[in-house]
Amino acid sequence: MSGVEAVRQEALTDDLGSRRIEVHDLNAWFGSLQALRDVAVVAEPQAVTSIIGPSGCGKSTLIRCINRMHEEVLGARVSGKVLFDGQDIYAPDVDPVEVRRRIGMVFQRANPFPTMSVLDNAVAGLKMVGRLSRGELRRRSEQALRQAGLWDEVKDRLDEPGGKLSGGQQQRLCIARALAVEPEVLLMDEPASALDPASTLRIEELIQDLKTQFTVVLVTHNMQQAARVADWTLFMLYGQVVEFGPTRKIFTSPDDKRTEDYITGRFG
Amino acid sequence: MLETRKRFHDELAALQAEVMAEGQLAERALGRSIEALVRKDKDLADRVIAEDDEVDDKYMDVERRVIDLLAMQTPVAGDLRLVSAIMHINMHLERVGDMAVNISKIAKATRELPTDPTVLSHVEEMADIARSMLLTSVDAFARRDLEAALALPRMDDPIDHLNRGMYREVVGLARDPRLLEWGVQMNMVARQLERVGDNAVDIGEQVAFLLTGEFREFTDASHPPSP
Repeated sequence: MSGVEAVRQEALTDDLGSRRIEVHDLNAWFGSLQALRDVAVVAEPQAVTSIIGPSGCGKSTLIRCINRMHEEVLGARVSGKVLFDGQDIYAPDVDPVEVRRRIGMVFQRANPFPTMSVLDNAVAGLKMVGRLSRGELRRRSEQALRQAGLWDEVKDRLDEPGGKLSGGQQQRLCIARALAVEPEVLLMDEPASALDPASTLRIEELIQDLKTQFTVVLVTHNMQQAARVADWTLFMLYGQVVEFGPTRKIFTSPDDKRTEDYITGRFG
Repeated sequence: MLETRKRFHDELAALQAEVMAEGQLAERALGRSIEALVRKDKDLADRVIAEDDEVDDKYMDVERRVIDLLAMQTPVAGDLRLVSAIMHINMHLERVGDMAVNISKIAKATRELPTDPTVLSHVEEMADIARSMLLTSVDAFARRDLEAALALPRMDDPIDHLNRGMYREVVGLARDPRLLEWGVQMNMVARQLERVGDNAVDIGEQVAFLLTGEFREFTDASHPPSP
């Protein structure tokens, strides 16, 4: 049984199966450059799926295809299927904005609006989705900041500009902003790579909390981070899936020699 | 490959060589301890006891370096299994060294006592098999030889058989109190040799884990195979 089939078999018994992401035969291009080749992977609800691989292997492109952000790049194309809740997010009648609300993303560099207040930053995305009362926005902002594990640190400085927070706090503010629109999936592209070890650990603990409610997909260059937080790990090379399986298996006895060579530092 | 990673892999290779050297020392000590026992050679017994410091030094050195690697290189996959195997094999070999010391101490304590040729020949037979198992296990590690590792439990069977028979043979010496005293000590030697065999089987298990990534015990003392 392949890794994907093993995950799917396990998922059949799962009630939260509706938040599962299934990628089939995914190909992606930037102009004539093919970035992904026949990628297949499943991201389970209430689990962290990490994607590892050397720079340029297609990790970021893959998660950008999962919430339809790849197509925003000029000349970018996608073929294949990405099923979310059983529905193909690339079907013609699907609104990409709604896809991006349900499948949120957090980026490598914390990018809060620097002059906007902490409180407003947390609901910046929410404001774009619809009109809400001041009281409701305040409530949703607090809820998101709590979910992001930031509330206790910022509750007395909610009116300060987001740019005044520390790097780790800014990243959690961005996570709060992604959570405020109540997504079902959280895609994280190297969320801790610009942070110090203590802030990194806070983000990793937060990921562990978040996975109880969300489907989390984590792109990381830090293999020990993948080993620490991920339930499933996907190793990619040259735009292709080399190996996908339980993190424990990937880091103790991977099946593919290329996986072994990469994670043991023999190349890459 | 990056320089620091190359140094890591060089260190892994060096540790493996160190463990193999430790295996040779332990095997030599075991052979000499039995020779001292059979020949009632006090000097040789003392030498085995003194030279165990070499095995212990190697054990401590390997242990310290393995801890350093774990802390600083966070090995994974095949590297992790190799580090784990080195750590376990190191411990098993150090214990074999201690068993050689125990046998040497018995050799010294039994020098003035009479001996029984049958019992002694069985002790020698057990020692031959135990030494051969030890060499096989370390060689299987060096050559990454799964088949040799898997053969170890079978090699261990005659040792277990002889060890079980030893008790009865010793009871048969009860007619002479001094011979009985010697026999009781030989029963302890047999017990040590039986433990050497078990340690060799355990080393084989580490080799199998290194090669297959699967943890399993070759034999289970609590559920012995039916005869």
